[in-house]
Amino acid sequence: MPHESATVLQAANVGMTFNPDTPEAVTAIADISFEVGRGEVVAIVGPSGCGKTTLFNIIAGLLKPTRGDIAVDGVPVHDATGHVGYMLQKDLLLPWRTVRDNVTIGLEVRGTPSREAAGIAQALIEAYGLKGFEDAYPSALSGGMRQRVAFMRTLAFSPEVILLDEPFSALDSQTRLILQSDVMRIIRERQCSVVLVTHDVGEAITMADRIVVITSRPGRVKSVHRVDIAPELRHPLKIRTLPRFNQLFETIWSELGIELAA
Amino acid sequence: MTSVETTGRAVADGRGSAPARPAARRLLPGTGRIFIYQVLVIAGFFAIWEVAIRAGWIPVYIYGQPSGVVREFVKGITDGKLLIDTWVTTQESVIGFLIGSLFGSAAGLALWLSPTTAAVIRPIMVALNGLPKIALAPLIIVWFGIGIESKIAVAAIITFIVAMIASYAGSQEVDNDYVRMLKALGATRFQIFRMVIVPGSVPWIASAFRLNIGFAMIGAVVGEYISAEQGLGQHIYYAGTLYNLNGVWAGIFALMILALVLDWFVGRAERLLKWR
Repeated sequence: MPHESATVLQAANVGMTFNPDTPEAVTAIADISFEVGRGEVVAIVGPSGCGKTTLFNIIAGLLKPTRGDIAVDGVPVHDATGHVGYMLQKDLLLPWRTVRDNVTIGLEVRGTPSREAAGIAQALIEAYGLKGFEDAYPSALSGGMRQRVAFMRTLAFSPEVILLDEPFSALDSQTRLILQSDVMRIIRERQCSVVLVTHDVGEAITMADRIVVITSRPGRVKSVHRVDIAPELRHPLKIRTLPRFNQLFETIWSELGIELAA
Repeated sequence: MTSVETTGRAVADGRGSAPARPAARRLLPGTGRIFIYQVLVIAGFFAIWEVAIRAGWIPVYIYGQPSGVVREFVKGITDGKLLIDTWVTTQESVIGFLIGSLFGSAAGLALWLSPTTAAVIRPIMVALNGLPKIALAPLIIVWFGIGIESKIAVAAIITFIVAMIASYAGSQEVDNDYVRMLKALGATRFQIFRMVIVPGSVPWIASAFRLNIGFAMIGAVVGEYISAEQGLGQHIYYAGTLYNLNGVWAGIFALMILALVLDWFVGRAERLLKWR
């Protein structure tokens, strides 16, 4: 099981205060610690304004925390170096690049020879259902297909950790379910270590091995839940009929609800 | 998964073939009709003008006369003077346009690489942007003499300013989320520049090119007004001082035709450049 393997990502007492030592000082994150094991999927759930975006940027290396550390494979993260791949609600496909060239961008940044990069991209495109669209431009694709390309771009350069920030929330509900189960299947197949940031409790339970609930600003870890549901039962629709799903859903929802009321 | 693929493919196919045919069928008779109207409006305008002169409603020495303009035009073409003037103005405009637009775009984009430089020269850019750039022409003529070089310089400097401001603005408009994504991938500043900023600014640069071909012609012609021995601006100015209104009109129509031709070329280039 994933939780028995080594830690890939470790967040230790991470805190973030903007404009410190000024009257406008805002503490977005008070103290957050969690870890992600190899091949594990950890969901971060919190009410809006809990510093999810800030935490996301810190993990991606785009923002330096004012307290604490992020370590990937035991090495502290000081800068953005491509150790983390991320996928947002916005697909961020470059409109002037074809599907193939969008998928290879991470490899291109790393200086992978273009032949090799194209081969990696081709394999992903064929494996995950976009064969025939290699030379299409993003404007010719549907929202679901674009997100699929964005996911392939993240997979292509094999980051240590994949960061998903509300990746499906801009999609219609049907496409969303399809993409959710596809992404989940791929993550399991490739044994990816994933941090999923979301406000959708159902999505968190469906996809994650563990769920970290964060309080509203300033963000703190309120509770951690292990989702002990077997992978074969984790179909986005079927899972909703399980008693364990509903129990977790209600617990987490009430934890968030209290926060909302407070 | 299958459903996504099929709808996706249908969309892609639809773009490829289906809508192309009806659109073409609808478009052609429309443009044909519009074209006839356009010819009628222009012909009607010249006819009324000619009649008004011949009937003595308006004086020919102030307005010129279409038949006289045609005579001037034919004369200018047969003796080659109008053709030479057009060629000179074309060279000045095109060379000035190319130098100014290319270097201007490069300079504007390069400012993205150095925010400090950009911040330092921002007030100058704002002032230059507001300045009617043609006001610089007399200075440039003094610096570069009365030959073709000074007109190229006027066109180049004006288009340089326009292209620099547009491409810098374009580089600032590129979605910052793209930049952050590349940063997170570990890209260097120059990689971000090459992979996101330059291609992302292309639509802005292309629009500036379209404006610039007009500015280049203004620069060349005004430069010729000030001091020149050849060119359509000189032709118009000289004819004007002689009260040869038909000659003035002949020069203006030659300029209009030149403007249409140059704009067509830039429009083609623009379409090649722009991603959709």
